[in-house]
Amino acid sequence: MEHTSTLERVLRAIAITLVILFFIFPIFWIVLMSFQTNETILRVPPSIVFEPTLQNYQALITGELDTAAGKLEFDFMSNLFNSFYLSTASVALGLILGIPAAYAFGRLKFRGSEDIAFTLLSFRFAPPLLVLLPLTIYFQKLGLADTYFGLIWVYQLIVLPLILWIVRGYFEDIPADIEYAYRIAGHGFWATFFKIALPLAMPGIAAAGLLAFIFAWNNFIFALVLASADKQPVTVGALAFVTASGIQYGQIAAGIVLSILPTLGLALYAQRYLVEGLSLGAVKG
Amino acid sequence: MSDAAASLPKRRGFRISRRWLPYVLSLPALLACIGILIPFFTAVAYSLQRYRLSQPWAHKWNWGENYWNFLSDSSFWNTLQVSLTYAFLTVGLELMFGLGIALLLQKRTRFNNFVSIMLLMPLMTAPALASLMWKLMTNPGFGILSYFASLIGFEDFRWASDPSTAMLTVVLVDIWVYTPFIMILLLAGLRSLPQQPFEAAALDGVPRLFVFWRITLPMLTPFLLTATLFRVIESIQQFDIIYAMTQGGPGDRLTVFQVEAYLNFFQSTNVGRSAALLMILWAITYVLSSIFIKNWLKLREKQRGEA
Amino acid sequence: MYEKENKLIDAFMRGSVSRRSLIKGLGSMGITAATAGVLVNAAATRALAQNGFDWKKHSGTTVKLLLNKHPYADALIANLENFKELTGMNVEYDVFPEDVYFDKVTAALSSGSSEYDAFMTGAYMTWTYGPAGWVDDLNEYIMDDTRTNPDYNWEDVLEGVRKSCAWNGKPGGELGSDDAKQWCIPLAYEQNNLTYNKRVFDSAGLSIPGNIDELVDTAAAAKGAMDGGYGIGVRGSRSWATIHPGFLSGYANFGQKDLNVSEDGLLSAAMNTDVSKDYHAKWVKMIQDSGAPDWSTHTWYQVGTDVGAGKSAMMFDADILGYFMNAGTAEAGNLAFAPFAANPDAAAPTPNIWIWAMSMSSFSKQKDATWYFLQWVTGPEHGLFGAREMDLVNPARSSVWADETFREKLSSSYPGYVEMHDVSAPGASIKFTAQPLFFDLTTEWAATMQKMVANEIPVDEGLDQLAESVNSQLKDAGLG
Repeated sequence: MEHTSTLERVLRAIAITLVILFFIFPIFWIVLMSFQTNETILRVPPSIVFEPTLQNYQALITGELDTAAGKLEFDFMSNLFNSFYLSTASVALGLILGIPAAYAFGRLKFRGSEDIAFTLLSFRFAPPLLVLLPLTIYFQKLGLADTYFGLIWVYQLIVLPLILWIVRGYFEDIPADIEYAYRIAGHGFWATFFKIALPLAMPGIAAAGLLAFIFAWNNFIFALVLASADKQPVTVGALAFVTASGIQYGQIAAGIVLSILPTLGLALYAQRYLVEGLSLGAVKG
Repeated sequence: MSDAAASLPKRRGFRISRRWLPYVLSLPALLACIGILIPFFTAVAYSLQRYRLSQPWAHKWNWGENYWNFLSDSSFWNTLQVSLTYAFLTVGLELMFGLGIALLLQKRTRFNNFVSIMLLMPLMTAPALASLMWKLMTNPGFGILSYFASLIGFEDFRWASDPSTAMLTVVLVDIWVYTPFIMILLLAGLRSLPQQPFEAAALDGVPRLFVFWRITLPMLTPFLLTATLFRVIESIQQFDIIYAMTQGGPGDRLTVFQVEAYLNFFQSTNVGRSAALLMILWAITYVLSSIFIKNWLKLREKQRGEA
Repeated sequence: MYEKENKLIDAFMRGSVSRRSLIKGLGSMGITAATAGVLVNAAATRALAQNGFDWKKHSGTTVKLLLNKHPYADALIANLENFKELTGMNVEYDVFPEDVYFDKVTAALSSGSSEYDAFMTGAYMTWTYGPAGWVDDLNEYIMDDTRTNPDYNWEDVLEGVRKSCAWNGKPGGELGSDDAKQWCIPLAYEQNNLTYNKRVFDSAGLSIPGNIDELVDTAAAAKGAMDGGYGIGVRGSRSWATIHPGFLSGYANFGQKDLNVSEDGLLSAAMNTDVSKDYHAKWVKMIQDSGAPDWSTHTWYQVGTDVGAGKSAMMFDADILGYFMNAGTAEAGNLAFAPFAANPDAAAPTPNIWIWAMSMSSFSKQKDATWYFLQWVTGPEHGLFGAREMDLVNPARSSVWADETFREKLSSSYPGYVEMHDVSAPGASIKFTAQPLFFDLTTEWAATMQKMVANEIPVDEGLDQLAESVNSQLKDAGLG
């Protein structure tokens, strides 16, 4: 902008630097820790100089770590796989269920639409603990305990409200005329939905999907309570490094790095959509 | 439009009458979620019982007694106060910072886009694990942040372990994790605003602060409301960060609803009290969200009218 | 397979070959020490198979365990092949991180899940699980000759530990009474004593404290000598775990109790006596003067990590924590152990103990087969294997403590450990009153102590308030 003064530019640069420092420094530090042994991490005072080691990553990938207190075995890679599987499947199901509903609420105003929309959102209000406890009992009876299917269903509580709310706003903002014109040309409702509405709403869908993916990925309590050890996500799996014989900070750090990478990759890949896609509620000029 | 659309000839595919279409579209989502009502009502029933797993012989209906007892229970009022304070502080500060950062990154440049994605990394770190790392970073001996604090003169800063700074510390972690969520929503909002009002204001030489208060903020309100809505729901139900950092201590400084309910269930196995606490939490969330959503709908109606 | 090796091992078992030449002999056959351990135990297992008991009765059955990620579980898993061979049974297991382990147990049991047949537990937890009807009384099995093998030797389990796992289910009922039910069977246990950094103590000329006053003074002196570190590590998080280790061990040494039990079985708070207030005041002062600055967030992990990293000069916590920290840490090899009696008038230490034990789920659909596993894993053979070859320390059986190989292994790398154990073992038991509100009351106790240390409330007043609150909670629950 032409009327930005030098002072303002300097202030902006300082502000953005501070922001990056605050938000990125801890991540940077975690990355550093992931290349250190526990002994160098636990130094007083902490230091940035150390001899890097790949031992933490190696341990995570092979599933074995030799500590002085004995061999530590774990299955982090299958935790990572579970996280990936649970989050992806949940978001996929959430999109399949959520997009048509979002379209209905956003585009086809109908009797009770706001009430149903609010009801769906309100599933997010229930504190997870509240429903989780009785749920364990019902899952037991229904045979859903310790199944991926059961978990994916429960994960809908996290992903569905988010998807609905964001995608709905997006549908509302697509000018109705385009769809109308297409239908006048003799196309049916479904054709219009798939050929016109869906592609136009793609950025919103991508952004909602990504956010939902992140929230599903970070969940911790559902799988812990409802499934056995072989279905646990990274959030539970990484706690295995908090052992009776000490906390293995190096592996936890490496675990965090490995668990951020897929999501970060996804976000970078979808970055064009991400910001544009969240512009729900905007009335396009 | 709807009448015209309805009267269009349908060529092929299965037909659903125009009247039922919206219900058919929204029903699967509703059905998928409706199952949750069963455990929900079971939990309501638990909250009306004297129910401690370790004393099965004393299990009976006591109707509102669990709730009634809260009135004279100082730890309950403490929980309420701490939870509301936490939610107010975190959401308030995150909105401020989130908006500030979004304004800084508003211009579409490669650098800004890249930074905005990188800033999402804290959000991608599961709070349960992030807290472990923060706990290490604020450790008085090994912690890098404690080291920094000592460099700038806070020799003995005790972070989460001191009653006077515990709230500050967990709020800081919450800000670190969740500000990016608000930032990205608001950034999307800012970039989607129509340009004409701003161009007009610039031509007229309207002061930028005035533009911000009278044009930017009002137009951004729906985004602010959405961001606030999701953050309030989550913040008042915060568990991971607080439990991992202090387990609700020191003393009773941070015994928010979910921490208290969690301890009541998993340690004391006092199912009745735990469920009653969570029901109150649910009621608070419900009321707050209704207010937000009502305003959100009103605003959108208004904006559509103007557009 | 391993035929030559097995011959050598059998010779060792008969006593005709020494342990050293056994390991050497096996080494020449290309077998490492760890594998050798399992093989040696295979020989013990073969001996077990010949004791006339029908081990193969449940051959083909699969039992599933819920385990905590812990060296004790590692020992169990390492020896599992021998059990499978002995019985022809199969064993599956789920291991969960310690941080969330008990949540998983509560979730599984409270939903009535029959997925797990047996699981690891602490003795305190069975005060919930037992009355809730989630675990079986194992006395039925132990006392039944048709179901328990003749070499099980139940009396061999240390009395204090054995009894601490038995409770009659009556609030305030004495542990190990005649009508007690055996809710769980110990795998191994922890005593709470002093672990100190010998390097620091020697260079600062400190001597081992003999009572609470000396402990307070020594901690302060040690802090002065630490240069940036602190004097003494004790737990401080808002949890029952803060009360049960060093703190309660010292408290019990003064004859103090958590609760009083009246003639008619009613409970009332007992922590606001004068002696208790005096002890609390010293404890609080010790933390304020020479404890960790972030004491109120200290759990097992921080207390251990700090003493291992040389940040604290000593800790009053589980002996086994000191044991773990004496390897693979900055101070490895510098840690030494000493028994500790807080009361100058006490004849011996009275450590409160933590027990990792095995329980049988009441929802199990194959209890007899599960018992086969339980009697093996808590039996003398596995105990000996775990103690010699793995970290199943402190073993709960006196026969294992009598084993020279094991004592030698401990004494060579953990100076003072065996002596410490022998001195404090007679007084070691659970010092809490068994009752259903255990976790409520101890959590509140810890929260009150945090307030005292932060100077938010004076010790006297804090304890009076705590006692009042405890009494009203007991009344509400129909116990007081």
